Order: sequence, then structure tokens, then C-alpha cells
Amino acid sequence: MNRKLTNAVFKIFVWAAMAASFGILLFLISVLFWKGFGAISFDFLFTPSSNFGAEGGIVYQIVGSILLIVFATLIAFPLSLGFAIYKSEYVKSSYVQNITDTLIYGLNGIPSIIFGIFGLIFFVNLLNTGISWFVGSIILAIMILPTIILSTYQAINSIPDSFRENALALGLTKWQLITTTLLPRGLSGAFTGLLIGLSRAIGETAPIMFIATAFSGVTIPVGFFEPVSALPTHILALAQQATNPQALQNAWGTSLVLLLLVLIFSIAALWRRVKFSKIEY
Amino acid sequence: MELKELKEPIADIKNNTETIINVSGFNVTFGETRVLKDIAVSFYERQVNCIIGPSGSGKSTLLRSINRINEGTDQIDINGMISFKNTDIYGKDRDLTLLRKEIGMVFQRPCVFPRSILENVVFGIQHHQKLSKAEKLEIAETQLKAVSLWTEVSSRLHEPAHSLSIGQQQRLCIARALAVKPSVLLMDEPTSSLDPVSSRVIEELMSELKKEYTIVLVTHNIAQAQRISDHLIFMCEGKVIESGDKEKLFCNPDKIQTKTYLKDEYCDCNQ
Repeated sequence: MNRKLTNAVFKIFVWAAMAASFGILLFLISVLFWKGFGAISFDFLFTPSSNFGAEGGIVYQIVGSILLIVFATLIAFPLSLGFAIYKSEYVKSSYVQNITDTLIYGLNGIPSIIFGIFGLIFFVNLLNTGISWFVGSIILAIMILPTIILSTYQAINSIPDSFRENALALGLTKWQLITTTLLPRGLSGAFTGLLIGLSRAIGETAPIMFIATAFSGVTIPVGFFEPVSALPTHILALAQQATNPQALQNAWGTSLVLLLLVLIFSIAALWRRVKFSKIEY
Repeated sequence: MELKELKEPIADIKNNTETIINVSGFNVTFGETRVLKDIAVSFYERQVNCIIGPSGSGKSTLLRSINRINEGTDQIDINGMISFKNTDIYGKDRDLTLLRKEIGMVFQRPCVFPRSILENVVFGIQHHQKLSKAEKLEIAETQLKAVSLWTEVSSRLHEPAHSLSIGQQQRLCIARALAVKPSVLLMDEPTSSLDPVSSRVIEELMSELKKEYTIVLVTHNIAQAQRISDHLIFMCEGKVIESGDKEKLFCNPDKIQTKTYLKDEYCDCNQ
């Protein structure tokens, strides 16, 4: 009887934990939809903002955010792939392995505002780049490096050694082993990590607010060293004018657009993970 | 009983006594542990050279030293000499790709790549020479016939190699190794993860393959060694205790340890 009771209580607890988490998520998303849906229209998505964002749309912010993460991807992806391959296939000493682990987790643990300050001091002031979306992309790329590295490394490292030995015993060079056997699976992990990283990067405000974005008077940039306007910083700007109901309404609308973008990345990551788990090794 | 059926007649297999691989003064240390101690042994061309011994005796390490696949291991220290066709395997400018092309290897557990059966057969060879589609098919047919797998898979060459049974996968791995055209085939307990019927098929295959290839086989299965080996090497605790013709070691060994091991599968090397 007692055992049965424990069992029942445990079952109720895990169910409640799941229900609570799910409930909170559902609540957040519904509020966003409830408040934001009214603001979204064709005009809102495809016209520039005016009157400090209280009027008009968010087309520049959408373009700015996408520009930031596209270049963050171009910078972070090859670097992470190389790092993960080197860590998995070339580093033999466990001492060096520990150091790289510490570095990666350390980088992952740095609060995002620190990246912002670093970018401001190093790029904007020291290198004198000025406020630049490209610097923002570099900082976002550094931020998502650990996520992509870890997920690529885990994918490559989980390939059994027998595949390496069999390939090498057939006379393949290390390069051929990596490209034919390890990369196909490593890439899958890298894409998953990239999508998770991007869904985080696109919503980050702190790292880009000092170095890459301006709140008004910004259009679509034509060079590397120009500011852009981005979705999260736009929300911040609008929220600061909360007494204006029109601005608040646009803040909700912008939030919903940002959420939908994040959702696209998350679903893509999930889809990749499901597909990737089907590869048999 | 089965043993008797397959026991080969003592035929004229000993005509050929050319050595192809010679090991001398060979030592391997992993970290603090000396795994191979002053090994000196020869392997004969176109024979089944069989290394036997209890677990941990260094059989696999010796085998894996021949194609230098051991080298990826952390903290390994190798010294001594292994020569292949009178050239030093551990020589300074030795090209590992060419060495492994000459000395193929089959592992304990079959390991097929997540590709089709056809692509698995040509997986190694296609990195050594450019192949047209027709050439790939031709190679696949030849090699799959050589391992008597052709009739079973000829209609499904483009299906995933994982769909084959474990025994078939192991024969596919042998075909893949043969496609590279080696002259030596190293086999590391190739039947130990297979069922008895599949094991027997592989054994018959080895007896067939030795007409063209030198086979170095590691096994801990004494009955298997008795069935198919020509030349026998008995190892224990990192040393070669005795080596010679199979008949000599089974009937009239020089060392008492050899006799005890072959009879009782028991080994106390410090006797």
C-alpha cells in the first residue's frame, strides 16, 4: 500500500512539474499573441518606423536582426566546425582536452552584457569602428561559438572509434576520414547547434545595444561599419515610452514577430534533431 | 565431432616457406605497461599465420602494429623493427596510406559504413584511384564473389549495408579490404562476434583466400587455430613463447606452456 502511494505521489509530482512548465510557456505565448496580434499587419511588417517607433512598422528592424545573425553564422560556423574537429580528432592529451572544455564552458557562461562592454571597448573605442552591425555580428558569433562547438564535438565524438580504424585501415588519409565519415554526422550536430545558438542570438539585446544598433534614424546599411536597428533593441526602446499606448502596442507586435522568428529556428532545430537521430551508426 | 569433419588433410601446404613479414626486437609500451616484450617472429607468405594466446597476451597489439593502426593511441611507445617485403614498416618516410593499401585489416566486429552495400565494397579503393560506375560494379562483383556473398546480395547492391546479417556484414568487410588489393590480410578475431555457422563460412573463406593472400589471424579459439592455421605463434604475457608449424606445436611442442595451453587452454607463463 505504502509503495503504491509513493508511486502515485511521484507520478502526480512529475505530471505537475510537466504541466506547470507547459502552462507557463502556454501563458506567455498566449499573452504575446493576445496583445501582439492586433499590432501586426502587412504595413507593420513592411514599412519603416516613424516617431521613435510609436508609428509605422518594423521592416528595418527585421532586416537588421536577420543581417546580424546571417553574418554571425558566417563567422561562427566554420570556426566552430574546425574547433570541434580539432578537439575531437587531433587533441590526444587529456590535459589539453580539459583546458578546451574549461574554455568552452567558460565562454558559454559569460553574461551577455559583458560581451557588449567588450565590443564597445575593443571594437568601437580601441579599433575605432564606430557603431557597426558587423561588429555586432562578430560579438554574436563569439557568443554562439560554444553552443555550436559542443554540439558538433558531441556529434563527431560519439562516432565509434571502429569507424575511424576501419577507414584508416583501408588506407584513407585523415583528411579523407574526416570528410567521408566524420563530417556527415558532425555537420548534422553543427546545424542543430547553430539553430539553437541563433535562436538565442536573435533575441539578445545586451551585447548589441552599445555597439551595433541605433534606435532611430537608421535605414538599411550599405557598408560594414554602419548601425542597424534590431528587433530586441527596438522592443527596449518602445518599452521605455510605455505611457504612449501606440508605442506599447507596437512593442507587443515586435515581440510577437521576434518570438515567431525564434520559434522557426527552434522548430527547425527540433526537426533536424529528429531526422539526425535516425542515422544509424 | 565437427572438428574432425573439417580437419584438413595434411597436404602439401608447406612448400612455401618464404617469409613476408619479419618482426625483431619489437617492444610496445602503453603508459607504464609493457604490452609486447622483445618480440621476434616471422609470418609466411600465402599461409594462415595464426597468433594464439590468452586474453591480454598482446596478440592484438602485435597484429595492430603491423599496419600501424595502433599509433592513434595515447601514450603509446613503440620500438624495434617490423619489416614487410624487406622494407622497414616503421621507416621514417613510410607512407601509411600505401602501407595499409598493401596490408589490409579485418576487425573483430564488422563495421559497415552507413552507405549502400556497393558503396561499402568500393569505400577504400575509390580513395586510391578514380573509378567509373561500371568499374565500381565490376569490383563489387569480383570481391563479393570472392567472399561468396554475391549470390546473396547481387539483387540488392544499393540497399543499406546495415540490412545485412552480422555474418554477411563481416564478409562485406573482408570484400572491402580485398578491393584495395592488399597482399596481406590482418584478421583480428574475425569470427568472435559471429554465430557458429557464419564463423564456419569465414573459416572456409580464409582457407580459400590464402591461395592469393598472406593471412595473419588472431584468435583465442584453439579449435579454430587447429582447423585452419598453417603456421602457429603462441603468445603469453607479451612474449612469444613458441612458434612453428601447426602440427609441430599441437603434437610435439618444445615448451611445456604451449602444451598446457593447447590442451587445457590454461597458461602460466612463469613456469
